[in-house]
Amino acid sequence: MTVFHFLNCAALTFGPHVVYYSATPLSEYDTIGTCVKAAVVYLGTALVKLVCLATFLKVPENDKFDPYQELMKIFIGFIDVAGLYFALTQLTHRNISQNHKFQAVGLGWAFADSVLHRLAPLWIGARGLEFTWEYIFQGLEANANLVMTLSLAALGSLMWLRKNKPRTLVPIIYACALLLATMPSITSYLRRSLEWQTPRVVGFELFSSLAMAFISWQLFSACQRTM
Amino acid sequence: MSISSSSGDVLASALAVLLVLLACVELGDAAAAVSVYRLIQYDLAGAPLGSRAASVNHHAAALPLPAGADLSRSALVAPLLDLPLAFLREYLVQKKHLGALLILLPEKFNDKDAAANNDGNGQLKGALAELEKLLLHEEVPYPVYFAFQDDNFDNLLADIRKIASSGQPASATTGGYKLVVSSPEPKKVASPIISNIQGWLPGLKGEGDTEQLPTIAIVANYDTFGAAPELSVGSDSNGSGAVALLEIARLFSRLYSNPKTRGKYNLLFGLTSGGPYNYNGTNKWLRSFDQRVRESIDHAICLNSVGSWNDELWMHVSKPPENPYIKQIFEDFSDVSKEMGVSVGIKHKKINVSNPRVAWEHEQFSRFRVTALSLSELSSPPEFLESTGGLYDTRESADAESITRTVRVVSESLARHIYGLKGRNFDVFAENSSLAINPRYIQSWLDLLSRTPRVAPFLQKNDPFIAALKKELSEHTADVYVQSDVLDGMFTFYDATKANLNVYQVASVTFDLLFLLVLGSYLIVLFSFLVITTRGLDDLINIFRRPPSRKVKGA
Repeated sequence: MTVFHFLNCAALTFGPHVVYYSATPLSEYDTIGTCVKAAVVYLGTALVKLVCLATFLKVPENDKFDPYQELMKIFIGFIDVAGLYFALTQLTHRNISQNHKFQAVGLGWAFADSVLHRLAPLWIGARGLEFTWEYIFQGLEANANLVMTLSLAALGSLMWLRKNKPRTLVPIIYACALLLATMPSITSYLRRSLEWQTPRVVGFELFSSLAMAFISWQLFSACQRTM
Repeated sequence: MSISSSSGDVLASALAVLLVLLACVELGDAAAAVSVYRLIQYDLAGAPLGSRAASVNHHAAALPLPAGADLSRSALVAPLLDLPLAFLREYLVQKKHLGALLILLPEKFNDKDAAANNDGNGQLKGALAELEKLLLHEEVPYPVYFAFQDDNFDNLLADIRKIASSGQPASATTGGYKLVVSSPEPKKVASPIISNIQGWLPGLKGEGDTEQLPTIAIVANYDTFGAAPELSVGSDSNGSGAVALLEIARLFSRLYSNPKTRGKYNLLFGLTSGGPYNYNGTNKWLRSFDQRVRESIDHAICLNSVGSWNDELWMHVSKPPENPYIKQIFEDFSDVSKEMGVSVGIKHKKINVSNPRVAWEHEQFSRFRVTALSLSELSSPPEFLESTGGLYDTRESADAESITRTVRVVSESLARHIYGLKGRNFDVFAENSSLAINPRYIQSWLDLLSRTPRVAPFLQKNDPFIAALKKELSEHTADVYVQSDVLDGMFTFYDATKANLNVYQVASVTFDLLFLLVLGSYLIVLFSFLVITTRGLDDLINIFRRPPSRKVKGA
């Protein structure tokens, strides 16, 4: 019965990625190579982030919210954005349209993130007898993360790959990108300082990811229209 | 395009289903791990008795039971006072099956600092005694464990009752709590060893004394037997006797250390084992002696349960009280006790040689034709496997003052006998003298014994406790020797006396299936949504039509 639960939670965590790949034209254009390359770039980025975190952060004595440490974490979070930049611009992709490139990169990135952060706890924890909601929440978080990564990749492709953008939209694009990049810090602030319970935090993540997805979708189509 | 509204719909319906799921399984505590102690498992002359199984993997149930509950697949968790014995007896007699039984003992037994209040105690003691008697003499085919009741268990019981009151007994299909004890299969203890520890205080042999000096033996058994071997600390039965013996040995070793005050009697101290089993150990110990040594024993004083009396101590004999030896010893005791303000009564019980039941330790001596008596607070002989250090017999049931009083009675009488002080009215072991009885010594040894479960088959030959007793005795006496022997074949014991209980909160099968359904529909909805938004509705329909024509590759 508990392996059943593990399979359920694994489907919730990784299923959407597979569904996204097969449902959208990504599968038709065979963009799996891009996804894999993006995943590899993510792994490298994660490694660099870990090294920076270990070097610059102190072990917190108490569980309070330390603004300087959080600021440090935000800066290190920007390494993520740098990694995405690298994946979007520097890698050689096969001839695929802008539209599909950011989707493929975002998908590979989010999938690697889920596997790295969520597979091990799932394997070890969800197979036990004891039932907790933890792994279901983790799965929901993975879904939210997928949407947010796709939005960030869309905004990233807008910022770096598209040369002519309507002047008025540019600051909005940058503001949204900044918001998305700092989303992990925001959630940790909510969890630690305001002491939101996990269901509330996951609800917030889902809601905000959908909101940001909508906004970036609007921005993207607006820029596309002006092309 | 109404992506946001359709996604909003999806989210709303998902939340609704989530709430339904939440109603099925309550958020509870994380898994807890508790130490539990198993009911003893033993064979008596081939008849299996006690709890015959050890591992538990059942759903938890609590009293009051919902109607029509099938307990053969549940583990019943019951606090001691809530468990009606009639119910248990009915289950045992009718050979109805329980998955497992977990009896929760009140915490007071584990808390040495709690002051014993007498009003609740009587009921508790009675309930425990009855429960022990029932469980010890029956064959229980399922595991029975004891644990101490604390807040976790209170919460657990409340939760189980809440789930049960919703009408569904705990089982695999409805979720609830699961109790898991993963214990190896209980194996027989191969050769249970009983170790008797003896020490001598040799008396003063005068010039020209060719004959052997007479010996006075002071004996007490130190082992216990109870429903839960890991909890059998037997403070009163017979930790009190063993501690009294150690103090008497200490006092007389001070007297005997100086040749001027050494008496003309040898003193033999024996800490015997195998008491609950008809004093089998004492028998083997006496048998191991040379016949001349045995014959030199003038008389033996056996101490049994001397830890909780106030005014009256009993002297049990097998020779008639008119016997001159017995009479003289009794007079010594009476004189001393009268001076102390307590009384010693005498009880005579004839030995039936054909009856294998040995109720008092002195009867083993009598069978070897050695004059002996047993000093005890009990006025009647205990039944087989009763008063041997059961669940109730913890530190609170014995007190150092009673043991001190016993030590005074025995040692003063002994001193008057050895040194011929009859009629002279003074205390050898007076207060504030260098020979004063040391209550702190008694207390610290009583504390130690009350922390050490001492069921003989589970004490190895090289157990640190036996080594500690041996070391202590050698501080006071000479020629300390540990005589080990195998317990008689009538008893067979099984191990696996202690285990760890894990309490898990499990979700029901229906929950998992429901979740799978929700997940499946979510993924299907997501798939359709993505296909419609990126490729168009026609493509979605085309997937399901699956015509024999090949898939159109995008140009």
